[in-house]
Amino acid sequence: MAGHLVRLKLALLRNGLRRSQWQQQLGLVLGALGGLPLAAGGFLLLALLPRAEPRFGPLLVQVVFVALFLGWLLFPLLSFGGDTSLDPARLVLLPLRPGELMSGLFLAGCVGIAPLCTLAALAGGVVGFAPVGPGLALAVAAVLVQFALCVVGSRALLTVLSRQLRSRRARDLGILLVSLAGLTVSLAVQVGARMAERFERQDVEALRAIGRVAGWLPPGLAARALVDAGRGRLLAATGELLLAALVVLLLGWWWWRSLDRVLTTAEPPAMARSRQAAGLVRRLVRPFLPADQRGAVAAKELRYLARHPRLRVSWLTSGLLSLALVVLVALNDWNHPALVLSALVMVFLVGQNSLNQFGWDGPAYWANAAAGADPRGDLVGRNLAAMLAGLGGTAVLAVALAAVTGGWRYVPVALFVAVGVLAVVLGVCDVVSVRFPYPVPEVTSNLWAVEGTGQGCLVGLMQMVAFAVQGALLLPVFTLVGVGVFVWRPLLAITCPVAVLYGLVLWRVGLGMGARWLRDHQPELLTALTPRRAA
Amino acid sequence: MTAASPPQADRSPTALTVRGLRKAFGPKVAVAGIDLDIPHGCFFGLVGPNGAGKTTTLGMVTGLLRPDAGQVLVDGIEVWRDPAAAKRRIGVLPEDLRLFERLTGAELLTYNGLLRGMPPPTVEERAHELLDVLGLADAAGTLVVDYSHGMRKKIALGAALLHAPRVLFLDEPFEAIDPVSARTIRGLLERYTEGGATVVFSSHVMELVERLCDRVGIMRLGRLIAEGPTERVRAGRSLEDAFVELVGAGGTAREELGWLGTSSA
Repeated sequence: MAGHLVRLKLALLRNGLRRSQWQQQLGLVLGALGGLPLAAGGFLLLALLPRAEPRFGPLLVQVVFVALFLGWLLFPLLSFGGDTSLDPARLVLLPLRPGELMSGLFLAGCVGIAPLCTLAALAGGVVGFAPVGPGLALAVAAVLVQFALCVVGSRALLTVLSRQLRSRRARDLGILLVSLAGLTVSLAVQVGARMAERFERQDVEALRAIGRVAGWLPPGLAARALVDAGRGRLLAATGELLLAALVVLLLGWWWWRSLDRVLTTAEPPAMARSRQAAGLVRRLVRPFLPADQRGAVAAKELRYLARHPRLRVSWLTSGLLSLALVVLVALNDWNHPALVLSALVMVFLVGQNSLNQFGWDGPAYWANAAAGADPRGDLVGRNLAAMLAGLGGTAVLAVALAAVTGGWRYVPVALFVAVGVLAVVLGVCDVVSVRFPYPVPEVTSNLWAVEGTGQGCLVGLMQMVAFAVQGALLLPVFTLVGVGVFVWRPLLAITCPVAVLYGLVLWRVGLGMGARWLRDHQPELLTALTPRRAA
Repeated sequence: MTAASPPQADRSPTALTVRGLRKAFGPKVAVAGIDLDIPHGCFFGLVGPNGAGKTTTLGMVTGLLRPDAGQVLVDGIEVWRDPAAAKRRIGVLPEDLRLFERLTGAELLTYNGLLRGMPPPTVEERAHELLDVLGLADAAGTLVVDYSHGMRKKIALGAALLHAPRVLFLDEPFEAIDPVSARTIRGLLERYTEGGATVVFSSHVMELVERLCDRVGIMRLGRLIAEGPTERVRAGRSLEDAFVELVGAGGTAREELGWLGTSSA
């Protein structure tokens, strides 16, 4: 049975490469390439640490072991929807006893890129600490126990939480967390680097207290066993190793119990697990929207912004990217009052989310097509929602920047110009989004998946062209703002109405072109948004 | 019941007229020239094996899929010449239930009503009634993504009925619906046709089609191979027998699966 499950895992890995589109294949290759430096880095760290830092090396080994264990606990939780071999419910119909299933799932868990990289990194510990002699066997055993802790701990936690993880809310949260994880890691690295600069010897002494606690955690025990084996304290190493192995057995027992329960207990229906949706849009925004098709579309768009996991990620990413750009600009001079105008970066970037504004509807756009309503009203509704959300974010950023720099007089300028900028951006989006739409899957394991229109490359190219066109159209506005800030300040007062007027004129042109095309091609847009099924 | 109130007096002689309707996807001909007349107030069943072209036909007559050739008139209005006017008269329940997953049931109905230009108080009132009748009142505030298949079907039916269309096109409306809900829906549709509205629906459940429909059409390989009053099409047999005979059933595979029932486990 174990052999079957290992083969299943290998087949899933192989088929993942064979069946998916080139973007997904590229993702897998990048994942493998990303794992390689991590494995090599971990190996070198554990191999070189004891000789380079004999005093603090053991402490850091404990930290690395604990971090590795936590990583194994957390990352599978986030990728639960992506790895079908992790979900015990998929095997529920097979006539297997929990014991058979456990050994199979354990061995399958040892196969893959992550286990391979973990083992490679842990091997560094053996090289770095192990002396020749009986200590070597203990060091190897310590590394294997740590590996077993990672695999069994992660599987046990997954099994216990499998029911919750399969819920729609958990999957939505997973998508959000995974997408923002990259950004968090890069921020953590920067903060870590800043902190390392100020790192002093007494801080290390303070860290010893944390080390003492970490040393009694199961992975910490395995780390201590490795260190003690390396230093010839074989009895202590054996005791620590036995304790860590006992934890593995306990985790295994927990896993076995939960597996037994998952395999034999009925799942509550989805309705019982879901909660009622909050009515924020209804209470806060709906009264201000027109009570017609435009208002209905705008309200739907705002609700999707709050509830569609990938749309939320898309807006959050553009928002955070703009924040990063603003901080970069601000690094030169924190106190320049005109820094408030850098909030315009946000309105420009979040506006790009409308380049595929029908894609988020996907095949559900059918409802709009079947209603026979005016496509112009549909586009206006979408633009209205983007305008409200975009301007809201920009206003908050501009006010925050004004609070820091004291440039309050630039806030109205930023808001007026933002209306003009967003109007131009949306005008271009209205044309591009009807001519080059592609469906965005509701929920998927791959965040960057585009459903098979077979024109991913063309879409990417067109969006780049759209970006360039927007830039060219906005050049006069940005020139006026630049001259106003650096050369002749009264020009800013004239720029405000000019930017709004210019934006509205270009928006109406784009809207007219988009609506005209859509009026004659609604079925074609619907076909483009509907993923083709296999014949 | 305001939501399903019968429509006004008829002006065109037929609810649906189809002439020479054709559609091909690459080399595969999905619909190979269909002619069809469905009178007002009729309960019309469209049946056929998988891949016969039923869904493609329904897509083309409802203005959602552009035909390669042919003419479609709904209530006297040419669908592909004036799609907006035609769509105002029809309600559609699509086969694969492509819904706005991140709206609640009540929000979905309101969205559809406002999209069709209905006054907000009417939308509110009808949505409330429909949710009650379809047994979805308790789930009105739950996101559609969390609905079961049967509930999705019912909310989609509610959205199709909300504007009291003259012609209703339903693709497999009774699939995955529990018997109690099926009876409710059947009653709703029967009352609807009694008032002069027309229901066109596709189904695989022959007993249901036989019981409900005044007229049936049988499709095979993109062609309408039989069409007319149900009594005439079934010609003394059950509709299922007539269907199997007309479509041509395959073997029962008795020899090939001889091991079934011997249980070696």
